[in-house]
Amino acid sequence: MTNIQNKPKKILLVDDDIDLLEQNKVLLESKGYAVVTAENVKDALDIFKKEKPDAAVLDLIMEEHDSGFVLAHKIKRDSYGKTIPVVLLTSATYITGMKFGVSTKEEQEWINCDAWFNKPINIDELSGKLEEFFDKQGI
Amino acid sequence: MEEYKPRVIIVDDEKGLRVGTQRLLQSENYIVDTAENGTEGIRMATGREYDLAILDLKMPDVDGITVMKEILAVFPNTVCFIATAYASFETAIEATKLGAFTYIPKPYTPDELLRNLRAGMEKRMLVLEAESLKREREERMLELAFEKTRLNLIINSIADGVFVINRNGELVLFNPAIAKYFELNNIFIGEKILGILPEKVTEQLNIILNKPEYENKSYTAEVEMKPDREFMIEVKCSPVRHPDGTVAGVVTVVRNITEMKKVEFLKSQFVSMVAHELKTPMAAVIGFLNIILNPELKTTPEKQADYMNRSRGRLQGLLEMVNDLLDISRMEMKTKQRELKELSIDDIVKGTVEFLELEIKKRGIEVESEYQENIPGIMADNNELTRLYTNIIGNAVKYNKDNGKIRISVRTQGNYIVTKISDTGIGMKPEDKAKLFSEFFRIKNDYTRNISGTGLGLSIVKRIAESYSGKVEVESEYTKGSAFTVYLPYTAG
Repeated sequence: MTNIQNKPKKILLVDDDIDLLEQNKVLLESKGYAVVTAENVKDALDIFKKEKPDAAVLDLIMEEHDSGFVLAHKIKRDSYGKTIPVVLLTSATYITGMKFGVSTKEEQEWINCDAWFNKPINIDELSGKLEEFFDKQGI
Repeated sequence: MEEYKPRVIIVDDEKGLRVGTQRLLQSENYIVDTAENGTEGIRMATGREYDLAILDLKMPDVDGITVMKEILAVFPNTVCFIATAYASFETAIEATKLGAFTYIPKPYTPDELLRNLRAGMEKRMLVLEAESLKREREERMLELAFEKTRLNLIINSIADGVFVINRNGELVLFNPAIAKYFELNNIFIGEKILGILPEKVTEQLNIILNKPEYENKSYTAEVEMKPDREFMIEVKCSPVRHPDGTVAGVVTVVRNITEMKKVEFLKSQFVSMVAHELKTPMAAVIGFLNIILNPELKTTPEKQADYMNRSRGRLQGLLEMVNDLLDISRMEMKTKQRELKELSIDDIVKGTVEFLELEIKKRGIEVESEYQENIPGIMADNNELTRLYTNIIGNAVKYNKDNGKIRISVRTQGNYIVTKISDTGIGMKPEDKAKLFSEFFRIKNDYTRNISGTGLGLSIVKRIAESYSGKVEVESEYTKGSAFTVYLPYTAG
């Protein structure tokens, strides 16, 4: 699914695993998106403010187990951030020992993310979901 | 079996009769003693027990009836005969009333005497047998009572809870642990208990109570008495049966399984963590392969080579992790055979530094060592200690700055050999230090992003040190460096 508009949509991609970060970057770029990346929450917030991405794709578990949640929460609380889709990537095997999951409605509401995908991601599903959001936003 | 010889005493002041009777009875296989007057008779027949006593009624000092009373007071089962020349009906009645078996009129014929003695002996045997049966029964009752108290004491001392209910659900027996486990105060024998027990327990009890047919099966349930695994019990209910097989009631054993459940939870948490740690590098490798193999992405040969190198690195890391996990599992299961030898810590530390020489040189790191003289040997497994020092000194290299320093000192302190390894590396924050020895914990920051590791190295170090009754201490200052101190008792092993 190639982006038909002239200006490619900008995606903020955050993952502390540099290999997975690169792979998802390549895959998103292959779908015609412009990708900005960060490896930790602090950089991610800086880049988010500077770049004003059209969507954010965040890994759930980073340095601290709840980093992905915290980041999603912070973006969604931002006046600009709440207008863009935020997608969380989760590792389905990692359930126990965590304070949060995204399996219950309460957790989803609290995190307020727009979608979540199990890793490894299927790029067609991810870009399909992103396009759905963009279509809804009418941009 | 030798025939039993009845023991007889003859008390008579008439010498002829005394001696004559004695001879007669001895020839008939009796053991015979004689006394020539009442006083002597009393002394002898109360001093030891005789089967039979032939007592002359009229004696100058004490009469036969008195002698008999004295004897019976001490040995009530001695069969007494009153011999009298003045036999009258009244005397006979009087004598038997007072406890004589019968009276023998004087003079008596041998046959008459022997017949009477045999009858008396028969009576005595019956009495003795009855007595011994009675005694046996009393002893058994006593034993039973003792057994019951003992059983109660044992049941009350069991840490596990035990209770028994009958078919009506009434409490028949319970020990104090039951009250504790179910938080029941004032429960009593006969109380209908089904309603006040946790539902899950009542369910198990009812299954058995409602199953009248013969079934030799216990029912087990785990009950969470306090939420979040704070207090968990296991109840095991088994039928108690009448001899004909019908259910008489249920015996239930209640066990505190809180600790077991906690360990179980930690274990599954660990498994989940391991699965995650194994999955991540595999996912990275598959991700790279998918990109290389996808013709639409048109990756350049340079990029492909880069991805393959990175994949190899991830697989290498995966292999190291699996090896670490196997080591940990061997340590946990204690299947690893230790080869205890007297080892020199100096040699092991020097060997480890040599082993890491290439990496040390590459990073321009300077190693300073200081070994105290005459460090005692230590009984330990060479592989384990080498692993311990390789992990710590390896970290000092890995997390050091380029052109940094490592200081190693080996000395004794009390009963310990103390090895201190300090580096001028990236150090760590106090909050990271606290988690340092946990499995899979790795400090993630800008400094460490390009350093590979399994997150198991220090956890292995800790396990090895502790298995030798030693310990590991850490000091660290963020961005300045860390120091690891290993204490190993040299009496260990």
